[in-house]
Amino acid sequence: MTSISTSTAAFYDRAKADMATLQKRAETLEQQMSGGNKLQRSSDDPVAASRLRVLSRADSLSNIDKANSDRANADLTLADSALTTFADYIGRAKELATQAASGTLTTAQRAGIGYEIEQIHGNLVALANSRDSNGHSLFGGEAPGDAYALDGAGNATYVGTPSAGDLPLGDGQSINRGITGPEFLNFDLNGTPTDLLAEVKALAAALQGSVADPQQAARDGMAMLDTGLEKLTTGQTLVGSRLTWIDLTTTRRTNLSELRADEQQTIGGTDLAATIIDLQQTLTVLQASQGSFTKLASLSLFNLIS
Amino acid sequence: MASDLLSIGKSGAVAARVALDVTAQNITNASTDGYIRRSVLLREVAASGGIGRVGDVSLSGVTLDRVVRNADMFRQSEVRRTGADAARANAEVSGLQNIEDALDQSGVYDAIVGFEGALQQLASDPTDASLRASVVELARTMTRTLNIAASSLEQVGEGLRFEAADGVGQIDLLATELARVNLRLARAADASSDQTMLLDQRDHLLEQLSRYVDVTTTFAADDTVAVRIGGASGPVLVNGGTAGNFAMTTAADGTISFTLDGNPATPQGGSLAGKALALAKLKDVQDGLDAVANSVIGAINAAQTGGVALDGSAGQAMFSGTTAADIALAFDDGGMIATAPAGAAADSRDQTNLGAMRAALATADPAGKADSLIFEISSAVQGRTVTRDALDSIANTAKITLSAQAGVSLDNEAANLLRFQQAFQASGRIMQVANEIFDSILQIR
Repeated sequence: MTSISTSTAAFYDRAKADMATLQKRAETLEQQMSGGNKLQRSSDDPVAASRLRVLSRADSLSNIDKANSDRANADLTLADSALTTFADYIGRAKELATQAASGTLTTAQRAGIGYEIEQIHGNLVALANSRDSNGHSLFGGEAPGDAYALDGAGNATYVGTPSAGDLPLGDGQSINRGITGPEFLNFDLNGTPTDLLAEVKALAAALQGSVADPQQAARDGMAMLDTGLEKLTTGQTLVGSRLTWIDLTTTRRTNLSELRADEQQTIGGTDLAATIIDLQQTLTVLQASQGSFTKLASLSLFNLIS
Repeated sequence: MASDLLSIGKSGAVAARVALDVTAQNITNASTDGYIRRSVLLREVAASGGIGRVGDVSLSGVTLDRVVRNADMFRQSEVRRTGADAARANAEVSGLQNIEDALDQSGVYDAIVGFEGALQQLASDPTDASLRASVVELARTMTRTLNIAASSLEQVGEGLRFEAADGVGQIDLLATELARVNLRLARAADASSDQTMLLDQRDHLLEQLSRYVDVTTTFAADDTVAVRIGGASGPVLVNGGTAGNFAMTTAADGTISFTLDGNPATPQGGSLAGKALALAKLKDVQDGLDAVANSVIGAINAAQTGGVALDGSAGQAMFSGTTAADIALAFDDGGMIATAPAGAAADSRDQTNLGAMRAALATADPAGKADSLIFEISSAVQGRTVTRDALDSIANTAKITLSAQAGVSLDNEAANLLRFQQAFQASGRIMQVANEIFDSILQIR
């Protein structure tokens, strides 16, 4: 005798398989919602998972770029304020030179001014040797120690490296991390290269009587200080433009990171509304199949035979 | 006149009893694995008249012809075939998923990115002791993560090989059992309950066998079965009362192969085939991970030896080892990172060599390699999962179809119970009538 009806075991097997599928689907949706991630593992969507990995790599490297550019920003700001102090000193030195250029002063008074300028020279050397936020010389390029060394006679010589070196800011951009002493202290005076520190020292010595005509030396000194101040201002502009460059790259980095966050959300984030509706649908179907299963399972001919 | 009403009634009662027994057997085995619904086939007993007795009525009731086993050979072989495919896909997917977990969850990618980042940060101040220490620590994290990933992969391989070895043991057991069933089948009487039970056993064993390897079956006239592995031309596992010796060989690289009585056997389906596939993929992934580790070691060590350390001494190799399993940090002192170029003085802030190191690392691109390795395995998992789901539902459908045809329906059996009960009662009534007729003859005076 053949039968086309389904067997009892087949009925239970089928109900079990169907309900297990629905249950699994509901569970996956629930996981997606509670985790906020569409992807539980890379194999859920290999392309999206790979993209997410690349994005998170870019994110973490970008954070380091930010730390680096913050450091460069701090150092350049320090250099900027040091340059302002330089300018203040030069201003003061020029005042003194102007006084000394006046014919009404006695030699002793002029020597006194020369002494004050000598003190300024000392301050300038100290300032040129100031340190950055990491304790390295601010104007010595990549030199391990001071930027300027003093010899026995008190002459300052530059001992730093020619350049401050580049600092990568990410996305292939980099910045010269600082400014070296010669970049704002060395200039040409009447066609001869010289540097501000040496000239100020010479002026101090001249006013104290090392030359025959201190008054003329004071007048020359005024012109020299003007040229020096000009060079210093150029240096300050350079620092300012580098700070602006850092600002620009920071803005760009922020924009990129917003874009990345947006993409991460689109690729890997859960669309709550859609997921909730999916879950509700799955649960409704599950409930219905559970209900119909119990109804069918309770229907047995044995109950009716008495 | 050769009919006997009483014996006709008796034969009917006996037949109904047998039918009731079979129904009861069906009901009690409704959820027994491998049980196939039986039904009774009855036959009329009547003699045709001989010479000169053409007009005779010669009826002797009913007798049990045989107990029919409602098995469909085609559907059974479909269940075996689709089941073997599904088992292969299942074993492969679960193996690949384990590989994916070992690689993805160990955080290899993040650790490599962390090391890259530390080198990038060192560029902000190459003489900073804390930045140097951070490079060393993140390098250590990277080496340990690679070690962990390598050992997790190794464990996945061991697990797969262990399960495969267990499967081989099961196949030998099932083959021996099947050979024994074959022997008994050859001796069993036709249509006896002994034979139907043996046939159930035979089909059940074949189905179990097909979960481990794909089997090709040939049934003989006496219902014994010959089993081949790996297609119709594969080696013979069971023939009559003899079972072959199925064995597994593990190669040095961790992949496995099978032999049957010393001859190579290549199962195309079943969980063993799936595990062999997963192990082959595992070897690829292990090689890929070793390549990632090797690219870091090569790039960094070459750059290290080309520069000088913080104290002005010549740079030393940062990593020892050549593979993901044995990569290790060669020094703990952050000062030994060679950021300055050859010839630079101690405490040099010149970071030319650090730049070279970062460029070498960017060219070797271990993070990209790790990413594509994870991508490769996860897309393999994704692709196989789709196949697995399809094969699974095909196998389920085949199984349910077989079960619908060969399984027990309790409603049907309930109806049969009523029907045969009534048949029994009716036969009893026949005997009663025979008795009454006899009595009425006796009462003639």
